[in-house]
Amino acid sequence: MAHIPDGLLSLPVLAGGGVVAVAGVALAFRKLDDQRIPEVAILAAMFFVASLFSVPVGPSSVHLLLSGLMGLTIGVATFPAVMVGLLLQTLLFGFGGLTTLGVNTVNIALPGVILGALFAPLVRRSSPLGAGAAAFLCAALSVAATGCGVALALALSSPDYVPSARIIAATYLPLMAVEGLITGFAVSFLKRVRPQALGGVGAP
Amino acid sequence: MTRWLIRLVGALPLALCLSTGAEAHRLKLFATVEDGVVEGYGFFIGGGRPGEAELIIRDGAGTELFRGPAAADGSFRFTPAVPADLALTMNAGDGHVADTRIAASRFPQAGGLAPAGAVQAAEGATSSVPADPAMPATGDDTGLAQLVDRSVDRAVSRQIEPLLEAYAQADGRARFNDVVSGIAMIIGLAGAALWASSRRRGKTPPTPPAGPS
Repeated sequence: MAHIPDGLLSLPVLAGGGVVAVAGVALAFRKLDDQRIPEVAILAAMFFVASLFSVPVGPSSVHLLLSGLMGLTIGVATFPAVMVGLLLQTLLFGFGGLTTLGVNTVNIALPGVILGALFAPLVRRSSPLGAGAAAFLCAALSVAATGCGVALALALSSPDYVPSARIIAATYLPLMAVEGLITGFAVSFLKRVRPQALGGVGAP
Repeated sequence: MTRWLIRLVGALPLALCLSTGAEAHRLKLFATVEDGVVEGYGFFIGGGRPGEAELIIRDGAGTELFRGPAAADGSFRFTPAVPADLALTMNAGDGHVADTRIAASRFPQAGGLAPAGAVQAAEGATSSVPADPAMPATGDDTGLAQLVDRSVDRAVSRQIEPLLEAYAQADGRARFNDVVSGIAMIIGLAGAALWASSRRRGKTPPTPPAGPS
C-alpha cells in the first residue's frame, strides 16, 4: 500500500519524491539535538518492526504506519526515521523499492510531520484524554493523506495503476481507525507519564 | 519515555517471532504450467488474496495477450495459443503490483501446444485398446512420444507444484534474524550519529574564560 515497489513510477515522480525526502532529512539533521537521537532511532525501529505486521483486509492487506505518532513525538525527524526503516525493509525483505525510497518516505513521513506540527499545540494544551483524541485525529488523517499521496504518485505515473475508490475505502478506512486508536492510546499515556516527549524535534 | 520505548521495541521482535501474521505484506504472483495451461494465483505474503485483481499477460515481445480480472480468490487459468515466453503482472489496485515470468520451455514442445480436448482424445484412444492399453491405437511412434511427453510433464508438474508454491510463500517472509539485524542496524546508525555529533562538538573552539586573568 504505502510501499510502492520499483518499476511503477515515472522518472519525474521518483525524482520529485527523492528531492523532497532528501530536503526533509537535511532539515531534520539541522534541527536534531543530540539528546533526541536515541528517541528518533527507537521510533525508527518501531516503525521498521510495526509495519511488518500485516492483516488481510478485504481485497488487500494493511499494516501500521505510526506516522502520526512519529510526527507528534519527533516532528521533522520523522523523515530520517521513516527513510531508514524503509531502506532496511527494502534491503531485507524486498518490501517497497530502492528507486521509490524517496517517494515512499515522503508519502509516509510528510503527512505525519505536517499534521504532527498542526496538532502538537492542541496535544500540549489538552488533558491526557483530550490529547489522545487529538492524536487519534492526527493519526487517522495522516493515514488518509498517505493514501492520497500513494494514489497521486501512481496517477501521475500511469493511469493503469490508479487505485479504485473501492480499494481505497476497503483498505484505508479500517487502517485509519486502528492507527488512530493506537496513536491515541500511546499519546494519552505519554501525556500522563512524560508530556515533554510530545514536543517534536525543532518545536518551540 | 525512552526507557518505555526501549522495552516496547525489545518486546516487538519477540511478538513478531510468535505471531503468524508477522510478515511483510508484499503482493506475490505464483504461476505454474500444467498441460500447456498457465494457472496460479496472487497472494499477500502476510496472508490474504487480492480479490479480482487485474491480470495482464504479455508475450516475450511485449504484446498483450490477456487483460482482465482474476477470480475472487486471486486465482487464474490461461491457455496461450502457442508456447511463448510469458510475462504475468497482477495489479491489486493500490500500489501492490507483482510480476512473474514463464519461459516458453515450460510448455509441452513436441508437436506444439495441443488443446486440452486433443489430449483427452488421445488418452481415450489409448484406453480403447483392450489388448495392450499402454500402446496408442495408431501405433505411431511420434504419437506415442508425444503422449509420453505430456504424461511426464503432467506428472512432474503435479509433483513439483507444492514445492514451487512453498518456495514462493517462503520467499520474502520476514525472518526473526532479519528483523533483529534491522533493529541492530538502526541502533548502530544512532550510535554513529551520536559519535559524529560528539566529534563536531569537540571541534568547536572552547569559549575563552571571561574577565582578566
